[in-house]
Amino acid sequence: MNAIFKTAILALAMTAPSLAYALTVKTVPAPQGVEAWHSEEHTIPMIAVSISLQGGTAYDPADKLGLASLTASLLDEGAGDLNSAAFKEAMEKRAIRIGFGAGRDYLTVTMTTLTENADEAFRLLGLALSQPRFEENDIERMRAQMLAGLQQDEEDPSTIASKAWSAAYFGDHPYGRPGDGTEASLNAITADDIKAFARAHLVRGGAKVAVAGDITEARLRTLLQQTFGPLPVGNVVAVPRPQTIAKLGTETIALNVPQPAAIFGLPGPMRLTPDFIPTFVANYIFGGGGFASRLMEEVREKRGLTYGIGTGQEDMRTAAIVRGSVESEKGTILTALEVTKAEMTRFANEGVTEKELADAKTYLTGSFPLGLDSNGKIAGALGGYQRAGLAPDYVFKRNAMIEAVTLAQVNAMAKKYYDVNKLTIVIAGTPAPAAAAPAR
Amino acid sequence: MKTLGRSLAAIVVAFLSFASTPSYAAKASEFMLQNGMKIVVVPDHRAPVVTHMVWYYIGGMDDPPGLSGIAHFFEHLMFKGTQKIPPGELSKIVARNGGQDNAMTSHDFTTYFQRIAKDRLQLVMELEADRIVNLNLSEENVRTEREVVREERRTRIESDPNGIAGEQMSAALHLSHPYGRPVIGWDAEIQNIGRPEAIDFYQHHYAPNNAVLVVVGDVEPAEVLRLAEMTYGQLPRREVAPRAKVVVPPRYAETRIDFKLPNVQLPSFNRVYRVPSYGNTKDGIPESLDVLSTILGGGPTSRLYRTLVVEKRLAVNAGAYYQGGARHAAEFGVYAVPRPGVSFDALEAAIDEVIATMAATPPAAEEFERARTRLVAAHTYEQDSQYALAMDYGSSLIVGMTIADVEDWPNRVAKVTPEDVHRSASEYLIKKEAVTGRVSPEAP
Repeated sequence: MNAIFKTAILALAMTAPSLAYALTVKTVPAPQGVEAWHSEEHTIPMIAVSISLQGGTAYDPADKLGLASLTASLLDEGAGDLNSAAFKEAMEKRAIRIGFGAGRDYLTVTMTTLTENADEAFRLLGLALSQPRFEENDIERMRAQMLAGLQQDEEDPSTIASKAWSAAYFGDHPYGRPGDGTEASLNAITADDIKAFARAHLVRGGAKVAVAGDITEARLRTLLQQTFGPLPVGNVVAVPRPQTIAKLGTETIALNVPQPAAIFGLPGPMRLTPDFIPTFVANYIFGGGGFASRLMEEVREKRGLTYGIGTGQEDMRTAAIVRGSVESEKGTILTALEVTKAEMTRFANEGVTEKELADAKTYLTGSFPLGLDSNGKIAGALGGYQRAGLAPDYVFKRNAMIEAVTLAQVNAMAKKYYDVNKLTIVIAGTPAPAAAAPAR
Repeated sequence: MKTLGRSLAAIVVAFLSFASTPSYAAKASEFMLQNGMKIVVVPDHRAPVVTHMVWYYIGGMDDPPGLSGIAHFFEHLMFKGTQKIPPGELSKIVARNGGQDNAMTSHDFTTYFQRIAKDRLQLVMELEADRIVNLNLSEENVRTEREVVREERRTRIESDPNGIAGEQMSAALHLSHPYGRPVIGWDAEIQNIGRPEAIDFYQHHYAPNNAVLVVVGDVEPAEVLRLAEMTYGQLPRREVAPRAKVVVPPRYAETRIDFKLPNVQLPSFNRVYRVPSYGNTKDGIPESLDVLSTILGGGPTSRLYRTLVVEKRLAVNAGAYYQGGARHAAEFGVYAVPRPGVSFDALEAAIDEVIATMAATPPAAEEFERARTRLVAAHTYEQDSQYALAMDYGSSLIVGMTIADVEDWPNRVAKVTPEDVHRSASEYLIKKEAVTGRVSPEAP
């Protein structure tokens, strides 16, 4: 078996996997202000939908933090002539799944339905968006759940560190505020606030819809017209760009936990700039590539300092960051961060090798179809591209863009963005003096 | 039953114990290699990718006394190199070929998987076949990985009050049965696992005849069989240690635990019942428990949510779950988070009343139908995901179900009656089979 083995591995690693398949993405005419994409696939009798409306947590008034999240949580709590219980029973009777949530920039909706129930699914969705009831007792119930969620967040060092990191990095900018609010801000929200937020943000203008699965274009056009036609066009303006990083360096939040969590991050390239794709490749090599990344190799595999470490790019409408996380026992968390910083310095100064670049490209291009192999994933991915401001043909061009990245570009991005002097770090948990030297 | 993975990406595993629907259903083909390895193939031609999983009849249940966590620890060590592949290299080879890989361990199984372009199927089969017999462990790799596993335990259990409470409640529920031992192991016992123990475990458990291969994706069954014969088929059958004969010890009374834990911000009420599983019971009982958990606590129209959260306003959240995919006893859980100022006693009295009503009379036709519709539809939705399908077939076969059992599941759910649900509630949601845990903050 030895012989077959080596030949196969060598032969395969030199060629990229074949990617040809029948994915299609078409733009579908929709009511004014709505951008709708359609990926038609009739094998399985179900449809997946992703919707993004310009109503994320960045639009929360400073004294009403949590308003977007609370509003989103109430959209399946009754609409039109259906009260909360009746609305949910109508969904369950036909196994329709609709979920509402608030991201930083967008209020997002995911919907899954069997083809035979698509008319009813879109009818309920349309009711939720155009005639939400926002009844007082439902508001109270969802507010209580959000308040409990805040308490639960306080049990988790990673969440504590993550919230504090955003506040440290973005300061007073809306991206720095907690999207789920605070106890005081949630208690300050009134039914009128929620209704006003819904009027301003549940609008057609800037809305994005991605639909994948067992539905024809003609039927989709009709359903989009019925669902979005009744909404006003509205006028939502993006939040301003954050000016400067509010707080550089390391902040420690004292907590008596066995394993502190750290978040570290710095400015990244905006999604639609030429720097983005080369940085995406660079980040895979540095911290984005799981067991193929340098951070995982150095911090976990060689030294056993953590179960998981990684970095990712996060692109918002008016800001972009590269951010990572690591958890380690209180005696080793500082060592884990020191190794991370040393790796970042080496990455910026020395760049990557031709082999690392080639391996990154075969992974990033070869694995792309794995994220597009189901209706649910296709709708989700297309929705993400829409929010990023990409075109419907991006999905077909993306691999060529990655193939075109050069070693010089990756090394330039490593130098430009991975600068330890620009790091903002938050540790939740109290580090202790190292009990013993690291394993190696 | 807890499922642990090699890296965080694998935590979010929807544990489903069933498959297929009347309206649309995948059809699996089944083979057996000469060396005793089972093969299951489910074609899905929508995208040019495959999901390749090897499931072993090895899990936390098989940890020897004093070495809890070894099955899971060993799952990590399977990435530490063979005579041909250097330590850590397997995942990198998979990544260089555009694939993703990971592994998971539960009480009943250990599984390794790759998701990759279909023309790379042979490659991952070669890699996976290689490590069934050729693992090459160094002392140093075992030592370093032990620290990784201990960090994993801190992340999953020790940093989370609910993780601590859940571990203790399972230990109390299952008594001496190995389901009561954490899959990840007790920290002091993880520290007892060294290279000799790991190698001994490997030699007594890993063999092609102790495994099920599941491939879902853009392939034909005959092609998978051909590739499997070229790779796994070359390995000899090997004698494996018989699984320990363990009994499910009788319980005579409810166990109650009052947790006062550091770092608790939000009190919670949890009860877990020891009930029949898909692995140890036929005749539609697990199916009735699935319907029961949906009616009792499956979301915002369920009885627990409606009564405790909406009507009586005693709780912020409430629900129930049934994890039927186990060889031996399964866990049926009921939970609630009290509203500020509501006592555990008041909350528990209301929960007991909801359960008593469920046990006293069959559910109304309309709520029963809604629950059944949702369960059956979940299986059409499951067909959309190669990963979910592969998990479903693999986790079902590994606890003793057949492909026919898996594919007939929606028909069996369709046969469940309101009377069955009521009977299961009265027979199985009983206090002597339960552990009740109340989690609140440590006194300052």
